[in-house]
Amino acid sequence: MRKSRKTVQVVILIAVLLIGGYAIGTTLFADSDKGPLREGGTPPAFELADLDGNIRQLSDYEGKPVVVNFWGTFCPPCVKEMPEFERQYQKWQDKGLVVLAINLSEDTLTVNNFVHRFELNYPILRDVNRKTERSYGLKSYPTTFFIKPDGSIAEIKVGGMTEADIDERIERLLQL
Amino acid sequence: MSLIDFSSDAFIVAFFLYCFAFMFYVIAAAGKKWSNRDPLVHEKRWGKIAFVTSSLGLAAHLTFFFTRWAGSGQIPTSNMYEFMSFLGMAIMIAFTIVYALYRKTLLGMFALPLTVIIVAYASVFPQEVQPLIPALNSIWLKVHVTTAALGEAFFAVGFAAGLMYLLRVVDFKGKTKEAKRSQFWVEFSLYSILLIVGFIVAVFAFRAAGYDAQFDQEKSVIDTKGIESTIKETVNYTLPPIVKPYNSEVVKFESFLGMDSAVMEAPYWMNGVNSGRKLNTVIWSIIAGSLLYGLLRLVFRKPLGAVIHPVMEGIDPDDLDEISYRSIAIGFPIFTLGALIFAMIWANIAWGRFWGWDPKEVWALITWLYYSAYLHFRLSRGWQGRKSSWLAVIGFVIVLFTLVGVNLVIAGLHSYSGV
Amino acid sequence: MSLIENTKCECGHQNAVGTVLCESCGKPLEEQKDTAELPLEMRYDGVARRSQKSNPNVIDRVWNFFSSVKIAIYLIVLTFLTAMLGTIYPQENTFVGNFDPAVYYEETYGLTGKIYYMLGLTHTYESWWFIGLLVMIGTSLVICSLDRVLPLYRALSKQQIRKHLQFILRQKTVFKHTIEGDTGHWAEQFGAQLKRKGYRVHRDGTALLAEKNRFSRWGPYINHIGLILFLLAILARSIPGFQMDTYVSVPDGDTVQIPDTNYYVKSEKFTVEFYKDEELPDKLKGTARAKLYETKAVLYECVSGCGDPTAKPELREVTRHDIVVNDPLKYKGLKLYQFDFDLTPRLNAVHPVLVDKKTGNVYGPFDLPMRDSAMQHKLGPFTLDLYANYMEFAIGDNGEPTTLSRDPVAPAFIFSVKGPGLDPAGEPYMYFPMQKDKVKFAQDTINKGIADKIEIRVDGMDNVDFSEASTHLNVRMDRALPYVWVGAVFSMIGLLMGSYWQHRRIWLRIDGSELSLGAHTNKNWYGMRADVAGALKKVGIAVDPKSLDNGGNNA
Repeated sequence: MRKSRKTVQVVILIAVLLIGGYAIGTTLFADSDKGPLREGGTPPAFELADLDGNIRQLSDYEGKPVVVNFWGTFCPPCVKEMPEFERQYQKWQDKGLVVLAINLSEDTLTVNNFVHRFELNYPILRDVNRKTERSYGLKSYPTTFFIKPDGSIAEIKVGGMTEADIDERIERLLQL
Repeated sequence: MSLIDFSSDAFIVAFFLYCFAFMFYVIAAAGKKWSNRDPLVHEKRWGKIAFVTSSLGLAAHLTFFFTRWAGSGQIPTSNMYEFMSFLGMAIMIAFTIVYALYRKTLLGMFALPLTVIIVAYASVFPQEVQPLIPALNSIWLKVHVTTAALGEAFFAVGFAAGLMYLLRVVDFKGKTKEAKRSQFWVEFSLYSILLIVGFIVAVFAFRAAGYDAQFDQEKSVIDTKGIESTIKETVNYTLPPIVKPYNSEVVKFESFLGMDSAVMEAPYWMNGVNSGRKLNTVIWSIIAGSLLYGLLRLVFRKPLGAVIHPVMEGIDPDDLDEISYRSIAIGFPIFTLGALIFAMIWANIAWGRFWGWDPKEVWALITWLYYSAYLHFRLSRGWQGRKSSWLAVIGFVIVLFTLVGVNLVIAGLHSYSGV
Repeated sequence: MSLIENTKCECGHQNAVGTVLCESCGKPLEEQKDTAELPLEMRYDGVARRSQKSNPNVIDRVWNFFSSVKIAIYLIVLTFLTAMLGTIYPQENTFVGNFDPAVYYEETYGLTGKIYYMLGLTHTYESWWFIGLLVMIGTSLVICSLDRVLPLYRALSKQQIRKHLQFILRQKTVFKHTIEGDTGHWAEQFGAQLKRKGYRVHRDGTALLAEKNRFSRWGPYINHIGLILFLLAILARSIPGFQMDTYVSVPDGDTVQIPDTNYYVKSEKFTVEFYKDEELPDKLKGTARAKLYETKAVLYECVSGCGDPTAKPELREVTRHDIVVNDPLKYKGLKLYQFDFDLTPRLNAVHPVLVDKKTGNVYGPFDLPMRDSAMQHKLGPFTLDLYANYMEFAIGDNGEPTTLSRDPVAPAFIFSVKGPGLDPAGEPYMYFPMQKDKVKFAQDTINKGIADKIEIRVDGMDNVDFSEASTHLNVRMDRALPYVWVGAVFSMIGLLMGSYWQHRRIWLRIDGSELSLGAHTNKNWYGMRADVAGALKKVGIAVDPKSLDNGGNNA
């Protein structure tokens, strides 16, 4: 009688500890990955086609510094940045820099015309139905994510940058 | 005459019957000490008259309810006027049930004025039948609202009995710290009730006088694209504006007692819908209620609690304590069913979630937790008499806040998004 | 209190430590002098609630903490007080879409808003401490109930009929009387009266125990089981995949994937209906009061090519439903609710014709969607090569054509046209499908010479394909729901059992000709006294029910 009572007590308390711990744990855990992306956070994964129809994933570039830039032809600062990114890409690609420019779900002709006009060589990815854009919580364009080789976000830049800005940030990223 | 007009007449009949019933209950209680009569016979006789009158009032009220339902094709619980008058009716039903159990005439002396105040409060709101918006068109909503109101009505009867208990047992001649404190809070409770009466009186007085003032309020709004723009809203006042809306211009201002501009402006952080007007109404309620209170003090020349206290003599306080507790114990399961379970079913059908931590839902939960604390205090900790009665009184304040306050104060801070 | 207590009652029964009333005869055991005259504390029938050790270890201490009703009440009070705080400002979850709480609260409510956010009150109900409080209430529900229901069950299932005189006379409802005549007969008669009132009567010579509605004692515990189930169901919702809550916006005619699922939803048509003026009371006349929102929705499941950004997914229709408020589309636990709408029309495609102005011949119509149109259109002798397109046409700062957005607000197309009478290398032709843009950007002036040779135009609204509205749907899934309802049902049944029935017991014994009667109920003493007085009246003893009251607490 005594013994079984003790067992019941221990079993119940352990159950409470497990269930309660789980409940409280999830709230603590949820706190950190809710809300907009922050520096130091993990960028959401994506799987998108480039202009040649090859599938590229963010995880393909693990271990390399990555610049993810969201752009559209309808956004003048984005348009201004694109050739600058091209020059920066040429400058740093030997050091392993990866530039991924994700188009904001525009149609094929628009994107093709644009890319041909500026002769861009880094991968242009095509978002579909604003899915990736949403998962990154974008509010205004352009937005650029600088991702460290370890896969965490080093910096988030909302809005256009001058070429010097880009250069400085990439340099910082490569030094990390 | 249309059914709706007929039902409005029934409503007025019910209101006056309630008023008469209240007077008869007072006669039944206070008249015991009148000379040349047998107190027991007197109480029995007038108690009977009063109960019959109040039951007739309830019958008229039910007539109002069902004819309005038939006339409008929708259950009349969908706006503030309909809901508050339903609550008044529910209190009468709860009172009748508790009366059938305990046959304590005096309970009517407190339940009736409560009903009268609530019914009068209901009439402050626009009385037209408003066609339902889609979100409210659900059978579960009807079930939810009516059941919840009935549960709350039992809490109201519990409150009435609790207040009676306090008026009965508090020593109004006592000079000890304890007695003084009890006296103060009983008086404060009565004063608070008078504030509501003051509100009703002020609204009806100025409505009868046809008072009207208008302001244009400029508001800055930030739209989804982050662009700020100003919009102009016209705010109508039916009470003379002591407080005008923040950042507003006078359009029309009838002079009142030589006051021809607002005394002050509502603070900027009161940016909810019509918050300036609401603040103005609160100020008017305090003024009217305080005037009323002062007047009563002048007439009786002693605290109101001390005025009512002698009437209560001869009632067994234990009975009052028990009635208060029983009404709450009867109301609690009904409230749980109506305000929580049916509400969850409805919310699940309407929005796909049974619980969303919406302020109204949270306050229903707070009410429920409060009364479950009350029951545990009483059943397991032996809190009885005064403590229990105070809890019943405070509980009803929470109920009222859930019903009215949330709409006035909290929902005013943000309008609900969505349909 | 001495370490080793003598808990053996004078009737010979060995009681557990902590017992208040002898489990067998009911004689009060632990007694302080000052309470010796008052009615007995009958809670849980005076049995030992839990093992009370003189030297409790950690587990005992934790157990005893949660076993206390006082602690339970404190937890309830703390919960509703903190819940109040959460209603001061809107919670974060009331905002849909992108929204940064760190900025919003300070901007909207100033310093207090900032403090409110810093304290974490903007997500009160998801905070670790609020969930912690709920977990503690749940624990307290389990332990409190367990510690009380088992001893209570044991005590009630082995009740002795003949109780100690002290036990009877110190009940809250007591009656003493001297009986004339045959006591056995009297007891039998009285028992018969109680039976009529629904009591189960047990007799042991001149001692009697009558009992009614014992089941109501289990009400609170059934209620607590329901609440525990309910809380567990709510916790289960945080398991990944147990619940989902997202929004999709679907223009008329479009098919949109529901995020993170294999389902696609198509809106065939969204309609909003407003009340007509004659249906409205005077005050509301002229206002747009909605009567009905309806989305004709079709739900598809993706069967192949899903998740491949290069392939077009192959869809299979699984169900269709006209969604209105309060009537969602339901499919395998997935529910689509009408949430909001947008009445901005959107141009999807036009079907223009090409007119050869010289001959008057009309070629076409051809299909020209606003997005991803075919690159080449052959129309009789003419060939149109799509050269560029713009969704919201404008002339940029550098004088070049550009687009201001990615939505077809002011679409424009540039074709290179080849055909009779035109330059064999192709002549550019600019085409604005919308009449307002044709005028605004002076299409004919831009096109210069070619405008005299050909024209691309749309004949009639039949050749225009546009979405009149977009519907916003709320997509929900909640696998914990059935458990929530089961919990609610249990809880409600328990509450009804416990509140509307009362466990009433009457003990009596006749010593010589002295009748001693005691009665106990867990609620509603008024009814208890009425029962006793009523039965007594039937056997010829008239008493005022109120006079049976022995004072003490009114549960």
